[in-house]
Amino acid sequence: MPTTRKWYKAFWLLAIVCLLTGCWDREELEDKAYVIGLGLDRSQHEGKIIVTMLLANPEVGSMQGGGGSTEKPREIISFNANDFIAAKGTANAIISRKISYDLLKIIVVSEDFAKEKDFIATISDVLKDKEIRLNSYLAVSKEKAKAYFKKNHPKMETRPHKYFQYMVQHGVDNGLIPDSTLFRFFTAYERGTDLFLAMNTSAEVGKNPNVKGEDEYLAGQVAATGELDDTQFIGAAVFKKGVMIGKLTGQETRTVNILDDTTNIKDVLIDIPDPFSDEKKQFAARIMKTEDNKVKMNLKGLKPKIFITVPVKIEIMSNPSMVDYTKKKNQQILKKHIAKHIKKVNDDLFKKSQTQLKGVPFPLAIYARKYFGTIPEYKKFDWNKSFLNADIKVNSDIEIVDFGKTTKKH
Amino acid sequence: MSQQSGKLGIREYVSIVILMVGTKPTGDLPTALYSMVQSAGWMIPLISAGIFFIPLFLLVKTMMLYQNQNLFSIIQKLFGKYIGSIVCFIIFIISSSIISIDTRTYTNIIRTFYFTTTPNLIIYSILMLVCAYGAKKGIQHIGSAAYLVVYYAVLSLIIALILSFQDSNIQGIFPFWGPGKLEILKGSSKSLYIFLDFFLFAMLIPNFQSTKDFLKGTWVAYICVCIQISAVVLVFISLFDTSLGGIAYPFHSEIRYISLGSYLPNVEIFFFVIWIMGAFIRFTAFLYINVQMFCHIFKIKDYEYLIPAIATLYLLIGSIPETPFDVGLVIKPIITNVVGPSFALISIILWLTAWLKGEFKHANNKEMV
Repeated sequence: MPTTRKWYKAFWLLAIVCLLTGCWDREELEDKAYVIGLGLDRSQHEGKIIVTMLLANPEVGSMQGGGGSTEKPREIISFNANDFIAAKGTANAIISRKISYDLLKIIVVSEDFAKEKDFIATISDVLKDKEIRLNSYLAVSKEKAKAYFKKNHPKMETRPHKYFQYMVQHGVDNGLIPDSTLFRFFTAYERGTDLFLAMNTSAEVGKNPNVKGEDEYLAGQVAATGELDDTQFIGAAVFKKGVMIGKLTGQETRTVNILDDTTNIKDVLIDIPDPFSDEKKQFAARIMKTEDNKVKMNLKGLKPKIFITVPVKIEIMSNPSMVDYTKKKNQQILKKHIAKHIKKVNDDLFKKSQTQLKGVPFPLAIYARKYFGTIPEYKKFDWNKSFLNADIKVNSDIEIVDFGKTTKKH
Repeated sequence: MSQQSGKLGIREYVSIVILMVGTKPTGDLPTALYSMVQSAGWMIPLISAGIFFIPLFLLVKTMMLYQNQNLFSIIQKLFGKYIGSIVCFIIFIISSSIISIDTRTYTNIIRTFYFTTTPNLIIYSILMLVCAYGAKKGIQHIGSAAYLVVYYAVLSLIIALILSFQDSNIQGIFPFWGPGKLEILKGSSKSLYIFLDFFLFAMLIPNFQSTKDFLKGTWVAYICVCIQISAVVLVFISLFDTSLGGIAYPFHSEIRYISLGSYLPNVEIFFFVIWIMGAFIRFTAFLYINVQMFCHIFKIKDYEYLIPAIATLYLLIGSIPETPFDVGLVIKPIITNVVGPSFALISIILWLTAWLKGEFKHANNKEMV
């Protein structure tokens, strides 16, 4: 009887399905506590660190329509630990569910801990851990990471995983913070020829924030008032060989992001001094970068020469001095002026990186490699030393694609 | 029970080869190549393929002399009964150790990345169980299954590589010559083992519809595979750059890193499923070939009953090394350094013997008549 046989087979097939769950590695969503943010601080006890875990409540916001639970969207715990791997176990003394780093989005390190030599030894544990993904972000906070998470209270986006995801994503799109994934951190560290930029964040607004240019801020310096959360993401912390050595403002970070082809910047709005105005007025422009930079080097001789051409498309967004852009002459003046401005910004950046930071904050060295046949030759050239007295020229290839909606002077 | 007399066609053969050899860079191969010659690692597969071409060409030529005979019967015919059997046995031992080590490597990968608390032995047993079941089905089934999976495998590999383009920089392959041309040549001669499977496929010749299929399929697959391996290594070098030397299994690190936009941030499981299917077929085919060897040496007719026993044996051998480090850093280099040159040597000697014995002339005369 074929039908009996079929039933018989189907029964066994269904029975086998029960075995699929297995005895090991069975995971219940109900049983897990997902760490979204991890804070690392120096501890007063020697050899220990303070681990802060920001746990998201998966129940909040996951319901369609009404009827969500009244539980809090998050939980934060801080404690002393030897490392953040074994801390998962310790945390279970407080948290009822199994701690998992599977959905870890961001690691926040306090500035004073990042400046320590043994920071790299602590952070290297993420490579050993089997749950942490290398596309998590590394951020440096002005205050203690412990305080940072506690103070960070988003008003609108209460679910922490979404908050950090959007915050970082749009920050990177704007170019104001670097795309500082752990992956980039470790590749930069292994390469040893370029500096790594980690995003700078703070949940404490400085006491007397000055009003500066649109983007010359560090985290905690943007003077915003109203009904808001104090957390700010702007600027970058500079790491050299795994140790923090300095900071870049939002503007400098953006300049680096435009120079770095591996960062995906999308929608960069900047202010450029208006060439037609005497009163230091600035006009707004959107920068789009669709092509890669062209980098040429001449590395023979005592003073290496590096030429970088940045192709940018610019959209003019405002016209504060009411100039008629339909005139060819004005367009020429504008174009020249923007080129000059970009050149100046880049020159300042390279000057800072050669004198103050003593390293280049994006993987420029990688372009130098093709001028050498073999690795020993490249090693002999010694990029880190040669870069310091290199002659760097940045040119921009500007194309103004749009002058805004109006044709007249408005 | 009667033996299945399934025959392999050219497309099944090419699929098996792509799954067996072409998926090697998803294991620890890129790391091994990178630590050997750094930025020039992608060249090694191409150059080794060039070097291995000579022995493989001679082998195929010798094999074409005798229609429908497998490698071992030809070895025994040309080298005589005693020496031939010893050579066959050595080949069997070497390929057994390779399958043990490779299955263990894959078990390590699965444990490290996906089933972190499951005991190694359980994962290993399941892997071998599936392979034994597949091998018992016979080479025709393996071939059909390979043909079904190969498109998904190659496609998913390509997608995984494309998704990493955003973060990679092609400049990573410079300095072009890595540590120097001589080092590259040395590394290439050490890496002949990448293509050793082609040598073993000569065991399957009686299973082909015609020996011509074997000839054609071998060259088609050879070109596909060496390009594929080289391309994958190239992408990994430009993605990981210098840190590739320290990443044990770059493919799996990479699929954990990439994402499909912000709505599908963690996509490794798609790639893992297809990868594991490819891995099953890879070891099934490998197991089948090894069992065929064993049967030939000891003149056993019913290979089906032997498969579970031999699979268990490999499982036990593979379980000996205590840690993944022992496997990847201590045992594997020893075996791989021996395997490539010795198989190349056997092929050349085989051809020389055939030539000295005048077999080629003989064959020509036959054709003339």
